[in-house]
Amino acid sequence: MDALLEYAWVVVALPLLSAVLITAVGKQLPGKGSEIGIAALGLSWLLAVGIAWETFVTSPMEPLERSIDWSPLGGGFVFELGMLVDGLTAVMLLLVTTVSFMVHVYSREYMHGEPRYTYFFAMLGLFTFSMLLLVVANNLLLAVIGWELVGLCSYLLIGFYWEGKSNQDAANKAFLTTKFGDVGLIVGVIVLSAGMFGLTDTPFNIIEINEAAVAGQLSTTTIVLGMLLIFLGCMSKSGQMPLHVWLPDAMAGPTPVSALIHAATMVTAGVFLLARLFPVVAQNQAVMATIAIFGVLTLFFGGLLALVQDDLKKILAYSTISQLGYMVAAIGVGGYAASIFHLFTHGFFKALLFLGAGSLIHAVHSNNISDMGGMAKAMPHTFWTFIVGSLALAGFPLTAGFFSKDEILIAGEIWAGAGFFTGNLVYWVGLAAAFVTTFYMARACFLIFAGENRSHHPPHESGKLMLAPLMVLAVLSVASGYLLSPFSPEQPNFETWLATPLLDAEATFPFTEGTAAASGVAGDGVLAAGTSLAAAAGDGPVKVLHGVPSWHPDLLAIVLVLFSLAVFLAYRFYGKGLPERDPTLSMGRFTDVLVAKYGFDDFGYRYIVVPVRDKLSAAASYSSNVLIDGVVAGVGRATKSAAMTTYRVVDQQVIDGGINGAAFSAAWWSEKLKRIQSGDVQKYAGVLVAGTILLVLAFAAAR
Amino acid sequence: MSPIGPLLLATFLFCAGVYGVIARRNAVLVLISVELMLNAVNINLVTFQNLLYPGDPAVTGQMFALFIIGVAAAEVGVGLAIVFNMFRNRASVDVDDADLMRW
Amino acid sequence: MTGHDVVFVLVGLLTAGGAVLTVTSKNLMHAALFFAVTLGGIAGVFLPLAADFLALVQIVVYVGAVAVLFMFGLMLTRAPIGREALDGQNRGLAMAVAGGLFVVLSTLVIGAFGDLPTAEVTGPRIDDLGIAIFADWVLPFEVLSMLLLAALIGAIVLARRETGESGEELTVTRIEMAQDRDPDALEREQAALTSGSGGDGEEHA
Repeated sequence: MDALLEYAWVVVALPLLSAVLITAVGKQLPGKGSEIGIAALGLSWLLAVGIAWETFVTSPMEPLERSIDWSPLGGGFVFELGMLVDGLTAVMLLLVTTVSFMVHVYSREYMHGEPRYTYFFAMLGLFTFSMLLLVVANNLLLAVIGWELVGLCSYLLIGFYWEGKSNQDAANKAFLTTKFGDVGLIVGVIVLSAGMFGLTDTPFNIIEINEAAVAGQLSTTTIVLGMLLIFLGCMSKSGQMPLHVWLPDAMAGPTPVSALIHAATMVTAGVFLLARLFPVVAQNQAVMATIAIFGVLTLFFGGLLALVQDDLKKILAYSTISQLGYMVAAIGVGGYAASIFHLFTHGFFKALLFLGAGSLIHAVHSNNISDMGGMAKAMPHTFWTFIVGSLALAGFPLTAGFFSKDEILIAGEIWAGAGFFTGNLVYWVGLAAAFVTTFYMARACFLIFAGENRSHHPPHESGKLMLAPLMVLAVLSVASGYLLSPFSPEQPNFETWLATPLLDAEATFPFTEGTAAASGVAGDGVLAAGTSLAAAAGDGPVKVLHGVPSWHPDLLAIVLVLFSLAVFLAYRFYGKGLPERDPTLSMGRFTDVLVAKYGFDDFGYRYIVVPVRDKLSAAASYSSNVLIDGVVAGVGRATKSAAMTTYRVVDQQVIDGGINGAAFSAAWWSEKLKRIQSGDVQKYAGVLVAGTILLVLAFAAAR
Repeated sequence: MSPIGPLLLATFLFCAGVYGVIARRNAVLVLISVELMLNAVNINLVTFQNLLYPGDPAVTGQMFALFIIGVAAAEVGVGLAIVFNMFRNRASVDVDDADLMRW
Repeated sequence: MTGHDVVFVLVGLLTAGGAVLTVTSKNLMHAALFFAVTLGGIAGVFLPLAADFLALVQIVVYVGAVAVLFMFGLMLTRAPIGREALDGQNRGLAMAVAGGLFVVLSTLVIGAFGDLPTAEVTGPRIDDLGIAIFADWVLPFEVLSMLLLAALIGAIVLARRETGESGEELTVTRIEMAQDRDPDALEREQAALTSGSGGDGEEHA
């Protein structure tokens, strides 16, 4: 069985092979190339499952590294081409191949009749290959190559319907925004490896960088500068504020692409990279605080934006941004395992939600939830799978999202217990965002599945090829949570799976030594993640791994109350469907903004003011109802207006304004600078010679 | 004799060629200026060969000069053909007119 | 000051003067003739440098062939014979750049080779040259012959007139041919330039 790990590169190579084969012969085949993609991904998936099993049962294990020297360039530098297989790699391999396999199967039916069907499957294969390359890379240069390739595939697939100008614009926006961060990533990788040049021949090797960081061989400047620049790359790729702007627009691509790339895999690449370099991240308090603050901002404001959207895919996109914020924030508060665990479960349930959304869009030919309604009867299987996904996303107890999200909150609490303010921030803002998440998902579910059908097409249930992936992912959305829950055994579980020799059970954060004694964990031992940790977190250095989680009745209670409140609110507002005279349906433009506004006024009037004034005024419990409904309306009003303000001011003006400003200044400068391109070859020659003279003089002066 | 004289002459011819390439308007004259620069290099090569490395059995300097003359002949042929083509398409051989690549 | 030096200085001055007149002459044909003088002068410079064979090649190839080719080139392109402004707007730039380059290069050359002692000039004998060409340099020599052949064919392809499939000569340029294929192209372009004022496109169509 151990030999299986040696073949991890086959998992990576198969999708590339499929992409090449589909491009070469796909059009001649009866399935137009889709069968090659599905077969290759199936094999890849089987192998990934084997690898995952192998690494899981023997965890914690030594990472396996295999590499060949690509080019001995001399000067003490060797560029390796190699793979690094450990628990983290196995987790990502399993996630990527599973979701990709499901998306392949799903797309076979979803994309049916598309003129560029073969091209689509070739691109899916290429994307899967790139993502897996990024995941198994044993050195940062190879990871950057994979990183850029996924960016390219994302660009190509967002612009898949390139006939539409807006789709081209969305693709360009995504590419340019992520490219902005990629510059930071590349510089950061170079900065990090610059500190390694004196130590080794392979300065980009991930394991060696991590070991050097833990051994204290990297200077603080190297770590802070390098990791902050790399984090810039992660911000753009993983949609952290304020570089999240491309992600909602990226929904212009086909829905399976949104599920695969823009929900489950590519956007988590930034989180993955931070986790991969976690031993470096963990060296410095400032880096972790920066990461945590950006994560918190994103998880809260990203979630608020989802409230005012009408486009189902945009709701899910903002929700993805918010969930990515959780993962990044978890990294920032030392929740290494929590972050990857959330990445893992989120990959399944968000892919499920997107594929479910695709099924709905397929049925009603519209992205807008105001065009849906009453789908529960027409599409029963889509209905229950979507509900499972929504529950997982909202963190309903005993679903995967519950365990992973609470793991992050607990990580925040432990961090707060060690005396870091960001821990409190993650805990309380995370709870508030969980409420927002539940509310917008409940709103979407009520508008889609309850009430009357508002679409112009009679809805029909999707075919088997689309439903099967939904069901598989629905099962995984619940089951994957039990890898790291109070039910899991001491070993192996998800956390030991992710452990490496550097991040073993004894690993601690170096800068917490001595500072942690100040404040104990709030409350008593119940709140600490692990039984063994309760004492350790109080007065010793904080450990990286938190151990098997225990039950937290208080957190469970808060989560349940917030969940019920959010669902109750959503039911009050949206339970009966949209009103028929909703004017936004015929407006078309900025429907999302208007739906939210009109929706609030209208629903607020009809369901709160009218019942209070007419029906309940006669009742004896008049005052208490005014009180309750007042609270309900107040919370609703405050949430709505906060969301609207965020959307208008932060998103539309500050961020979009900044980006438009950059574009306009580029246009202004190019207008001035183009004069240099006179087309006068002789002038060019003159300037060329003048430059040569200057160079000669410069060298002469330098001697 | 001292090598400095031929080297300075070569430098002067080269700079005259640079001036012609940049200042001349007629494409044929630009080509002529390029030839001047090539010849200047030839003088350099011969000077180095015969004054600094007289014993070299492979006579590398003079060989390079010979090859440059050959390549320059080829270059003149193709260059003039391009000038003719430009003349036929535009009825002018002024390099100022050939500015399709401008903004 | 040996005889070699005297000859070199005289011929060198002639060459430099020829070069200056080549790049500054207002008359095209005069420029070409001064170019021939310069080439001959360079051949003369080769003689005191003991490069007899090269001097011969210089005269045969350059003065005999290339200079004449250039004159044909000038005449075939109907170059205006006579005095006229032959320089573009870049004269100042050219002056500055060429002057600066001369200062820099001559400083470098004098700095590097200025204090070399005078030496007896000895060149290879012509049979040594022949042996070198066909022993050490035979492969580059053959490649050069291929290059000349390619240049010959390329020049013919580039310079000949377009012929149709029947071998007839075409009297139109490529741009005109493109307009024949799409007769409205020019009109559309003009209409776009004058923003829709012209209506004379119809008579061609």
